[in-house]
Amino acid sequence: MRLTSWKSKFVTFVGFVVLLGCTAAFARPSIEELKGRAVLDDYEANVVFGYNIITQTNRYAGRYAGNGLNCTNCHMQAGTRPDAFPLNVAGVYPKWRAKNGVRNGIGLRIRDCFLYSLNGIMPPEESAEVQAVAAYINYLSEGEVIGRPPKGAGVPSLPDTGADPNPPRGQVVYKRECAICHGAEGEGQGPVPPVWGLNSYNGGAGLNNVQRLAGFVWANMPMGKERSLTHQEALDVAAFLHLQHRPLDPREGRLMKLAERIYQSLFRKAGVSEPVTASPGPAAK
Amino acid sequence: MNLLREVLPDFSWWRSFDAKRETIAGITGALLVIPQAITFAYLAGVAPEYGLYCAIFVGFLASFFGNSPMVGGPNTAVAILLGVSVLPFAGRGSPLYTEFVLVLSLMVGVIQLLIWLLRGAAVFRYFSPAAITGIKAGVGVWLITSALEGALGLSPLSAQFFYEKFYTAMFAWNDLVNPYAAATSVVTIVAGVLLKRSWPRSYILGAVLIGSLVGAVIYGLFGPVRSQLELLGHVALQPLPLNLPQLGPQHWLFMEQVVPQAVAIAVLGLAQSLVIVRDLETTTARHLDLHKEVFAQGIANALSPFFSTFAGSGSFNRTSVAVEMGAHTPLAGMIAACAVVLLAWVSGPLLTWLPMPVIAGVMVLVGIGMIQSNEIRPLRNRADGAVFLITLLSVMFLGLEVGILVAVLASVGFFVYWASEVNLFISRDGDEERIAVSGNLFYASLDRLAKHLRSEPTAHTVLDLSRVPYCDAAAQDMIDKVQIERTRHGGQLKIAPKG
Repeated sequence: MRLTSWKSKFVTFVGFVVLLGCTAAFARPSIEELKGRAVLDDYEANVVFGYNIITQTNRYAGRYAGNGLNCTNCHMQAGTRPDAFPLNVAGVYPKWRAKNGVRNGIGLRIRDCFLYSLNGIMPPEESAEVQAVAAYINYLSEGEVIGRPPKGAGVPSLPDTGADPNPPRGQVVYKRECAICHGAEGEGQGPVPPVWGLNSYNGGAGLNNVQRLAGFVWANMPMGKERSLTHQEALDVAAFLHLQHRPLDPREGRLMKLAERIYQSLFRKAGVSEPVTASPGPAAK
Repeated sequence: MNLLREVLPDFSWWRSFDAKRETIAGITGALLVIPQAITFAYLAGVAPEYGLYCAIFVGFLASFFGNSPMVGGPNTAVAILLGVSVLPFAGRGSPLYTEFVLVLSLMVGVIQLLIWLLRGAAVFRYFSPAAITGIKAGVGVWLITSALEGALGLSPLSAQFFYEKFYTAMFAWNDLVNPYAAATSVVTIVAGVLLKRSWPRSYILGAVLIGSLVGAVIYGLFGPVRSQLELLGHVALQPLPLNLPQLGPQHWLFMEQVVPQAVAIAVLGLAQSLVIVRDLETTTARHLDLHKEVFAQGIANALSPFFSTFAGSGSFNRTSVAVEMGAHTPLAGMIAACAVVLLAWVSGPLLTWLPMPVIAGVMVLVGIGMIQSNEIRPLRNRADGAVFLITLLSVMFLGLEVGILVAVLASVGFFVYWASEVNLFISRDGDEERIAVSGNLFYASLDRLAKHLRSEPTAHTVLDLSRVPYCDAAAQDMIDKVQIERTRHGGQLKIAPKG
């Protein structure tokens, strides 16, 4: 009897070790690990390409991006940070969205981001860029429950503060907390994204919404002092940003939009900082 | 010594050239090549800037090392084949795919250099003009069908046979076809066809302008969301896009598997270039060194991946325009390459807004241009017509690689068939029969003569072989045997003395 018990304990132990080993062996490889490999299959190469697009959008998807933003400016830490529009959401698509009134697959969702948040050109569904970002989203979504939004999806919605958002007070907050990085004119610098102006997201973007922007600002800004603003301050600064000049919503004023874009591409070279290198492949470290 | 002379660029034309005419020809070529370069990059499945680099660097190198006014750069058939060969190995347009295209281009260039070292230019004489016309027409059909997706805004159907595309487009019209895209491309095609009559040299340019205007109006009126009009996107041109082709284990595996495709592309590229060069020899009345052209094509393609672009070859349509505009020396090609840099740099920002349906329209126009009736009509001759049809059908149904092979086999086959034709002129002089033979007597052409000689073992025959340029051992043997047989049966076979 004792022997059986010892045996069963041993079996349990071995099973546990094997399980641990398997988890370690089959765990999702990190992007760095993938980049170090000599041979990547198509899916892995696509994941790495997707990661490169998210972190250096203008370099790797410069064909379709139209402003100074990178995906990772909002989908922070390459889409892995909760409460900053994390990208581990493959399991909730396809879903109907009020924004375009149709059922959106992950491809259409990504293309919308190019059109609005990146103020660019809608890439075709089958383009390499869209496919790569979709693969990266799948990669991040490993382990999530299909059909259920992951923890920390989107941004937190702030509770009712009882007061209306106040843009002038928001301007004060902006000058105090944000302007040091984002610039007095919201132009951004280096890796810091522009928050208004022709180089920022356009009027159709998801962040062009006071509630959502306030949630994003409160949960993720200022960097290093996240959640230090009060809810009311976050709402105020969001209202201030919402009033600033930014590219037109491509769904409205279409001829104006076309003119704006041609003006932009002729005279401003909006945001296209670096040309696409010939071989941004998996082997390129 | 000969090889060295072919390797070194030849500037013997320097003493006698008309700078003005060459410049005009070069600039016209540059205007024409920009829409084509973007289109062919799309066919090869890579970003548009690669096509422009091809026009710039491959075009320049091919002219620099060559000695003919042939305009090189992106080529329809080569671009299609590159795309088709790489597609099974990586997702279209992905970084890995692009690397594979560049590696394949390197292979194509190296194979062409090998062909040059093996003095392969002679082999391309066996490509009959009929076969080349057949390949061109087949590529044209292919171009038109692959444009169908882009022109109508269809969801991609590339895995299907070309006739299935027509079927799908016709029967699922309402669900599949994007009317905005279809309108843009139809306007482009109609404009091109109409402009071709009055403006046969650069009608494609006019069609692109009109199509882009219509596209811009549609885009402006209905917006990107409703019209779903695909645009080219930002073309990030670099002044000197130097690049080292990636050669990891993956790339070696890939190279191992695409050797047949690389050979087919190399042969097809050279075949087109050499047909053009031979054509030019008659129009420009200059002696052109075919081996040197093979070297120029090979080195241009082998160096192409180092300038981040893909392989090309001589272009029929751009060369004919350049020659019409008065190009006589390689200078025109070099000027064209330099002009592309300027033009692309100036028009780059506007190229961003080029609608893809316009590019599909250009594909259809180029396709129509490749199926030219004035080249097909002279093929009334039965053998030529047969080679043309066989080549065309096999390119359409079996693919380009097989099509090229069939083209060579068909041209050589019909040549052999023609060469093995022997005519017997039989005359009787009393008892004596006189047979005048004309044609080559060899193992494949003996049958008729042997049958005739053996039918009457007792006859007296004189064979007149004065019009037989070639007589092989089998024929000799047969005649000897018939002589022995005749002597046994009381007949006689004499060979008429020469003269």
